[in-house]
Amino acid sequence: MEQVIANGLYLGAQYALIALGLTLIFALMNVLNFAHGQMYVLGGFITYTIYGQLGLPFVVALLASGVTLAVIGALMEKFLFRTVIRRSHREESTMLLAAATAFFFDAVILLLFGEKQRGVPKIVKGVFNDAGIIMPYDRLVVGALAIIFIAAFVLYMQYSRVGRAMRALAQDRVAAQLMGVRVDRYSMIGFAMGAMLAGVVGGLLVTITGVNSGIGGPISIKAFLMVMIGGAGVVGGAIAGGFILGMMESVGLTVLREYGDVTYLVIFAALMVFLSVRPNGLMGKPWG
Amino acid sequence: MAEMLEVSGLTKRFGGLVAVNNVSFSVREKEILSVIGPNGAGKSTLFKLISSFLKPTTGEVRLKGERISGLAPHIAARRGVVRTFQETTIFRNMSVRDNVIIAHHLRSKASLFGFFLGTGAAKTDEAAFGQSADEILTLLGLSSLSNETARNLPHGHLRALGIAIGLATNPSILLLDEPFAGMNHDETMRMVEMVRRLRERGLTILLVEHDMPAVMKISDRLVVLNFGQKIAEGTPSEIQADEKVIEAYLGSEDEAIGL
Amino acid sequence: MTLNRNTRIAAVVAFLAIVFVAVPAAISSSGRFDLYYTLTSVALLSIASAGVWLTFYIGRINIGQGAYALMGGYVSAILVMNHGWSFWLTLPVAGLFCAAASVLIGLPILRLRGVYFAMVTLVLTEVARLLALALPITNGAKGIVSIPLPGALSVFGVTLIPDFATLQNSRLAFYLLAVTVMVVCFAVMYRLVNSRIGKLCQSLQQNEELASSIGVNIAYLRVIAYAVSSFFGGVSGAIFAAISQSIYPSSFTVTDSVNFMLNCFLGGLGYVFGPMLGTLVLYFGWDLLFQTGQFQLLIYSGLMIVLMLVLPNGLLSLAEMTRKKG
Repeated sequence: MEQVIANGLYLGAQYALIALGLTLIFALMNVLNFAHGQMYVLGGFITYTIYGQLGLPFVVALLASGVTLAVIGALMEKFLFRTVIRRSHREESTMLLAAATAFFFDAVILLLFGEKQRGVPKIVKGVFNDAGIIMPYDRLVVGALAIIFIAAFVLYMQYSRVGRAMRALAQDRVAAQLMGVRVDRYSMIGFAMGAMLAGVVGGLLVTITGVNSGIGGPISIKAFLMVMIGGAGVVGGAIAGGFILGMMESVGLTVLREYGDVTYLVIFAALMVFLSVRPNGLMGKPWG
Repeated sequence: MAEMLEVSGLTKRFGGLVAVNNVSFSVREKEILSVIGPNGAGKSTLFKLISSFLKPTTGEVRLKGERISGLAPHIAARRGVVRTFQETTIFRNMSVRDNVIIAHHLRSKASLFGFFLGTGAAKTDEAAFGQSADEILTLLGLSSLSNETARNLPHGHLRALGIAIGLATNPSILLLDEPFAGMNHDETMRMVEMVRRLRERGLTILLVEHDMPAVMKISDRLVVLNFGQKIAEGTPSEIQADEKVIEAYLGSEDEAIGL
Repeated sequence: MTLNRNTRIAAVVAFLAIVFVAVPAAISSSGRFDLYYTLTSVALLSIASAGVWLTFYIGRINIGQGAYALMGGYVSAILVMNHGWSFWLTLPVAGLFCAAASVLIGLPILRLRGVYFAMVTLVLTEVARLLALALPITNGAKGIVSIPLPGALSVFGVTLIPDFATLQNSRLAFYLLAVTVMVVCFAVMYRLVNSRIGKLCQSLQQNEELASSIGVNIAYLRVIAYAVSSFFGGVSGAIFAAISQSIYPSSFTVTDSVNFMLNCFLGGLGYVFGPMLGTLVLYFGWDLLFQTGQFQLLIYSGLMIVLMLVLPNGLLSLAEMTRKKG
């Protein structure tokens, strides 16, 4: 039992970090970033290249993953989304643009890194074994790092000037503009931060589960699930959704082990029932 | 005069907060009744309760004796209680005329399938709606804009279009949500004129409003809310002399009672 | 679009002549019989996309059409294989089954809007795939294979459609079948959109609160539109299963659902025939890029992004722009 909870927490911390990035982009721009999973994969491959192939320190690799994705995110906002939002008659356009971007990233990843599953050497060796919990040290480190990042993100959003501006923007775009918040600039920063979070988690998790070019789509779907559970566009919701999904997977995989994919079927079915009762998730703003 | 709408003991709780507390009043036929009150007095909650966009915790709303509270909004509309919206709630990408034509939905005799097949009844309906829409647009001074896309209308006209949409449903009572909000003096005067013309056509009107001078000019009677409760009811001159009302309005900084 | 009546009739006649006469003639003279398969696929995918377009039309982003295509395929396949039904009977039944299922699913989820509906329908596609894997009747990952070709259809002893297995060129037969169904579906859509129902759907898309305040039963209308949409998905899936004579859990996946959506978008969400054009362009574009080998997906998605930047309101908005200038 303790084992299941520990696994759930570890998974949940990673998931929450992924969901935070997705929800940030959604809150600021009303864009559902279909390419989020691909950003995660890209982050994973960058860490794989720098830490696994070139042998540079893990910290450098993780930093590179975050920075590269932040740049990519900023460019995407400036040159793709901003244009389409301005010129299209329909809000849905951005979602389709994001879907096309996801295909594009898939292609790039496949060309650059190939189809193979890639892994890297463990960042910390050894296994923690106490109080009925068995957990490799690297998982503990990665879990702890994820929690630190989550805390840093929340504090940043709460107390920094940029964070406050972004929260104002998320709450009411027009009002924020009237108050003098530079909408374009903070949209770009927000998009960059969201992408960065995806890249960082990719970099963290490549040390545990490895990475392959095909998992972008499934990761996006998981990220959507978490955001739906917690409520789209809300920081607390993303964190809650991440931990809830992590727990559900951990429990589900233990209880329903022999049924394989049925775990996900059960999770999906439960989610659809839940959403028909609470259309905005646990704490979402109405009609995201 | 007969009573059109009866509100009795209406209460709405959100969690621990009582937004509307045991409010009762009635609107008579062909009357203009305004609900006023300082910010946060529960006006818009009351408005939503009457138009069935919210379900009351307790109490009820009756139209010509028939209970309408707790019904779905489209059924309340079918019974004859139709609301307009505070902000620019219109069908943005349709022409002004189409906005009004579509709002004739309730009057259509043909079924959806009939419209799909283009039956005779459907064609008769379409023609009748077009004609009636043109009449309504003329009445509200929008006829010159009838082919304009709705989102391009200037603000004052947008609100008139909102009323035109409400009118097209042929309501027994029209509920206007802050029809004067954000208008300058001239626009307000024009809107006052327009609302009077509606009443002359035999419509009963209930409005929720902020703008005191306009309300005083237009209303037959007023109901004053504060902290979710009814604190006064009467003619404009009675309300202007009511101490409780003056107190309530003095208590909030940015309101003037328009004496 | 304001074309006058005569131009419209001429356009319809020309279109029918092209798809039923000119295309088969051109293919048989050029000997490129493989094009039948491509065009049949385009026709079927555009039917499914038309359904997605209809949900866009009521203001819902539907990434769940793959689920209904899969469902339709399985319903037809199971009825043919296990119960010995004629394919021709299973075709409408598959559509109706999907429509009925979509009413049950739609009643709760159509209350969701925006990204919530989009995400739930996306999950629905996954649920359908996982169900197909898990249920005994669908035969898991092995799928249902060796489905017989459609048999003869005769009414009162008159053979309307011959047994496909006896035909020399079943590819032509499938092409004609798919195109006929496509024409019917788009005719229904065109009529829907240009009748009062279309205006009501638009009113939903633009403002549900206001629509319900003028007495529109929004819940009912949404469910109807979603059911029609799913009917299209089911029919398209059923014909697909008949052509490929097989159906697997992976026959329609999330990628297909996303593609249906992209087809609509690329053709133009404001135009009834948008999904048809979008499907044609995307499918042929993908096929043409086959020669670029490993760069196929890169170029394809790159072009798609460029297209979205240049024409964010779809290919058909081009026609409108030139008309405005001219």
